[in-house]
Amino acid sequence: MMHDATIHPSALSDILIKNAYLVDPIQGISGERVDLCVSNGVIVDAVSEHAIVIDADGALTLAGGIDSHTHVCGTKVNFGRYMSPEDMRAGRTARRGVMYPTSGYTVPTTYGNSYRYSKMGYTTLLEGAMAPLEARHTHEEFAATPLQDMAANALFDGNWNLFEAAQQHDYRQAAAVIAWVLRAVKGFGVKLTNPGGSEAWGFGDDLASLDESVPHWDVTPREIIDTTIKANEYLDLPHSVHLHCNNLGMPGNYTTTLETMDIPSALNDRRQTLYMTHIQYHSYGGSTWRTFRSESLAIANAVHNHPHICVDMGQVMFGRTMTMTADGPMEFRLYTLHHNKWSNHDVELETGSGVIPVYYDRKNLVNSIMWAIGLEMALLIKNPWQCLLTTDNPNGAPFVKYPEIIALLMSAAYRDEQIATVHPSLGKRAPLPTLDRELSFEEIAVMTRAGQARALGLIEEGKGHLSLDAAADIAIYPIWPESMDPAAEYEDIISGFSQTLYTIKDGVIVCRDGKVVQKIENKTFWSDAYVPPQYDVEKNPRFVEMFDRFYSVQFRNYAVQDEYVRRGHPLVRTGKWDTEGGG
Amino acid sequence: MTEIPEAFSFSHTKQPSGGVHDGVVTDVLCPFCGCLCDDIKVTVTAGTITGVENACTLGAQKFLADTGRLPKPIRRDEDGWHEISYDEAIEYCVEILKNANRPLLYGWSSSLTEAQAIGVHIAELIGGVIDSTSTVCHGPSILAIQEVGHPGCTLGQVKNRADVIVYWGANPTDAHPRHMSRYSTYVDAYFMHNSFRDRKIIVVDVRRTATADIADEFLQITPGGDYALASALRAIVRGRDDVVPAEVSGISKVQMMQVAEMLKNAKFGAVFFGLGVAMTRGKYKNVRNAIELVDELNRFTKCTITAMRGHWNVYGSNEVFTWISGYPYGIDYSRGIAYYNPGETTSADLLARREVDAAVIVGSDVGAHFPRACCEHLASIPTVLIDPYPSATTHLSTVQIPTAVNGIDAEPGTAYRMDGIPLQTRQVLPCTTHFTDYEIFSRIYARLKEEKGA
Amino acid sequence: MMRVTLTMKPRSNPFLPIEAEQIIPENFIGSRQVMVYEGNKEHSLLNICVIRRDGNVNTPENVSLILRGDWSRVKRVGEYMSSGTIVVEGDIGMHCGNFMRAGKIEIRGNADAWLGREMRGGVIVCHGDAGDYCGSGYRGEKRGMRGGSIEVMGNVGEFAAEYLTGGSVAVHGNAGCFAGVEMRGGYLTIDGDAILPAANMVAGECVVKGRVLEMVPTFERVGEENGMIVYHGDIANRGKGRLIVRSTSRTE
Repeated sequence: MMHDATIHPSALSDILIKNAYLVDPIQGISGERVDLCVSNGVIVDAVSEHAIVIDADGALTLAGGIDSHTHVCGTKVNFGRYMSPEDMRAGRTARRGVMYPTSGYTVPTTYGNSYRYSKMGYTTLLEGAMAPLEARHTHEEFAATPLQDMAANALFDGNWNLFEAAQQHDYRQAAAVIAWVLRAVKGFGVKLTNPGGSEAWGFGDDLASLDESVPHWDVTPREIIDTTIKANEYLDLPHSVHLHCNNLGMPGNYTTTLETMDIPSALNDRRQTLYMTHIQYHSYGGSTWRTFRSESLAIANAVHNHPHICVDMGQVMFGRTMTMTADGPMEFRLYTLHHNKWSNHDVELETGSGVIPVYYDRKNLVNSIMWAIGLEMALLIKNPWQCLLTTDNPNGAPFVKYPEIIALLMSAAYRDEQIATVHPSLGKRAPLPTLDRELSFEEIAVMTRAGQARALGLIEEGKGHLSLDAAADIAIYPIWPESMDPAAEYEDIISGFSQTLYTIKDGVIVCRDGKVVQKIENKTFWSDAYVPPQYDVEKNPRFVEMFDRFYSVQFRNYAVQDEYVRRGHPLVRTGKWDTEGGG
Repeated sequence: MTEIPEAFSFSHTKQPSGGVHDGVVTDVLCPFCGCLCDDIKVTVTAGTITGVENACTLGAQKFLADTGRLPKPIRRDEDGWHEISYDEAIEYCVEILKNANRPLLYGWSSSLTEAQAIGVHIAELIGGVIDSTSTVCHGPSILAIQEVGHPGCTLGQVKNRADVIVYWGANPTDAHPRHMSRYSTYVDAYFMHNSFRDRKIIVVDVRRTATADIADEFLQITPGGDYALASALRAIVRGRDDVVPAEVSGISKVQMMQVAEMLKNAKFGAVFFGLGVAMTRGKYKNVRNAIELVDELNRFTKCTITAMRGHWNVYGSNEVFTWISGYPYGIDYSRGIAYYNPGETTSADLLARREVDAAVIVGSDVGAHFPRACCEHLASIPTVLIDPYPSATTHLSTVQIPTAVNGIDAEPGTAYRMDGIPLQTRQVLPCTTHFTDYEIFSRIYARLKEEKGA
Repeated sequence: MMRVTLTMKPRSNPFLPIEAEQIIPENFIGSRQVMVYEGNKEHSLLNICVIRRDGNVNTPENVSLILRGDWSRVKRVGEYMSSGTIVVEGDIGMHCGNFMRAGKIEIRGNADAWLGREMRGGVIVCHGDAGDYCGSGYRGEKRGMRGGSIEVMGNVGEFAAEYLTGGSVAVHGNAGCFAGVEMRGGYLTIDGDAILPAANMVAGECVVKGRVLEMVPTFERVGEENGMIVYHGDIANRGKGRLIVRSTSRTE
């Protein structure tokens, strides 16, 4: 079989971007006109005279966008599509130029995701949740999401081998399990979704607190989280533990969130020690839906007091969307509220998942408060490196809503205009109407790429910045910061961030004025962490026995073969085994 | 791995690759039913399969009775069948597809996802319809899921946890012989001391099947009575047995109450349903009602439901079609965008209405499974069959292109088990004479792109 | 008034489906070119039929389209129609009157499946039989027809008025299996016989004046009205709809 190169030679030309208004927080550039030179896919000093010249004329130029928590590929995403022909009726496009047909709005087809992210200047995506047993599926879809480099967090929340290590507080054993799984399934980071809860859901239960034991397993969420974080740092993985806290979506859950923040101490000086995803869903006060309120102030304060923690917003936007998570019991609770279609998919020895469609209604008080909380987190947390912009796509809203969120954060006037359209009691339950902060372009750049690159440990891979030798992933937006006031001209912010003038990926112009113009192939980041031979789980009889007796696939058929990651990009880590005497 | 080749070089003779000439291949995936058992041990002697262990009789037959393959592509003209080259066969395919007004690409459930993905792109390129065998199998189950969702799980969850198992309109003893010993009734469970004895089995069927013989409760319903029974059970489970008559679909209220109690008291209930539910009167509404019964049970305990998928990679076709087009089967690209409406865009309907003017059938025996009117129409239009073996569909075709057999001598590729778990097949025998369907479709796609200037 | 008569030409392959959602009254005002798809090829409407205009008007409510000849394979006629009238002299293909908002469609012959799918308003009268899914919704969608009225003089196929949410569907003949299944509003009346009507309904009212050949077992008998039996249900689905029948095969 022969695969011919997809990139036309002309697409590999050098590029000179003149008069770029560059905002690059990692380099400490908060807005200045520069010329950017691109050659062989990276940022260079100078280009040949044959370079394609783009005169940006002061247009906002950022490193390619990075989404550090999105659901775009894999079993449950595809189930969202599969069960929703009504959603596929929106957003249908036919084959055009190099673009394949697309369908869908809340859960678009893979090409739909890839093209629409590219149109918004995104070049790197982290799939937030991959069940290890179903990893091939995620990787198959990665190959059909070509305009972004991809990485997948592997789910460990119900992993029996990890439970056994956590019971003993044995983070070395936990590290050995994690390293083995990540290598086997070509996973990037460690995701815990409602740790312990998804296992409890295996018999229809859930866990209500960090100290409740998982049924049949003498281990608590606190122990799972603590052991996993220590193991993650012991392996020195690029990304920290990526945690979806217990009790998502429950009134009063903010106390669980605060308790969770106290679990880890600072263990890493490059990045956070714990990434707490979609914090909006975990910042709820009150004790019932009737007394539901925002506790964003408490959570934001805790974030200030825990500089080793990073969160993402999980912003909710009004309209219809699809919720999908490994948090099976939460989805069932949601189903009993909405009585709409409900899918659930528990994965043996590993995790669970659920999918249901929802409609966030701006006239509904609870939905209005949810909408406010996400914005409050971004406005209250002083350090943008600690609060990244996401919707937990598509849970809070499809990612195409990001430009509206950016405008809401940059313009108090736009917020006031929107607050006037939501439930009138919002101000009694949420502080949003009192907040007047307006974020700068630099802060938005942190929250949409630089912060993500740092949180994911991808700065060294040339992501999130445009320093010399960095990946030439560049987004040029039709926004002219030198001559506009984003607080007043928020409509232009929305349209500007919705469609780049140019999206450049690895030095190739892939999207221009919203139209994909070039086919490329992406790469997949995965974590290749060293484990000393005496910790090799394959030689551990207990591990092998667990596998042989209780999985429903053969051990030899579990690990994802190399052809599923043809352009795999392993991030090799030696860990702390030697320095701490573990091996 | 589903990669869409931009161009595809095609040498005139197959380069031998992979597999073994003599030896034993272990952990082989069985390319027969949706169980996709992956623990098969195959012995090869002098290039021929001489032994199969662990497989059921159906699976073993697939490996051992691998005879009678068509040696080369064939074409029919006035004088009968003639051998032609792969290149000629592919050019014929390109010729009939490129200008067709309503081309149909049907089958796909015995193909790997790699080939299925190219199939979708061929369909969108030529403005055709692509459909898989789901259309005559669990298509109604998919329609039901699209209305109410699907509370499911992987089969290992059932194996480790289920204490009550329901087979509804399904007879695994005959159709999925290892299902019970490998994934459900008889297999060891993590959470049970003696799963063999402790699991309770409920069977719902219109006749006493072999599976019914092992049931703790057998509900022999009147034909077409599935819907009413599910409604009655739903009402009973939610405490409204007061409205339920003394007998529903031939089942006494006493027995329904008993079964409802068993399900509510289960720690983990697992419902498996077959075509007895999905393909009898009411079709998807039956499945929907069964799903809603399971939804209701989840208010009391844990319960899951799983379709007993037929072909070993039919679920793969649904998955691949979905991530590329947005829809799991019956996708009509005649207007460039994907349109889906089973009953309108599905193969049996298109053929019965005589809409199709060129067809490619891959790895499926339409001649044996479709209504007569559909077959007659296929026989009246240019039809290419891409399949290793001659079949009833051969007689409806103008050209047949044999392929390597996926899971036996084709190069490894991806298949999805009935519960959605993706696995990679193993290549048992070297592939020496036949191209794979992946290679054939890659070539057809490349040629069509040239023709269309895409 | 303007009468626009569209006479179908003979086609080389009469089985090929045509999609003609542009055939609505407003598109025949002025000289707009109307396009249709035959199979996967786009054509001008002129390629498939002869167009004759009598009169000239500026507003679509005064436009009357007459469809003459064989339109049984033409889909989506009258889709999103918002005024004027369409008269089909013979049979019409699938999806006639999809999403219709106002105006009137009269079909003198039979209608194929999905007549008035997801209709919002207006009137459809079919003098012959209608196929499956008459007055229904789309796959996966939670609401079907939301307004307007459909009257079928003959029989309807299966799943008539599935997910009916508003408006009314009246069938003077018999209905196939599962008429009114998943109803959540609106009115469905069947003068003839029905099988498993109103299954799983949540709200709305379904009246069967003929025989109910099979009854879903989870409806609660609440009384009689005008000599007919009134049920509430579907209890299995926590439903609060009304099913009113003259007689059932059900044994109490």
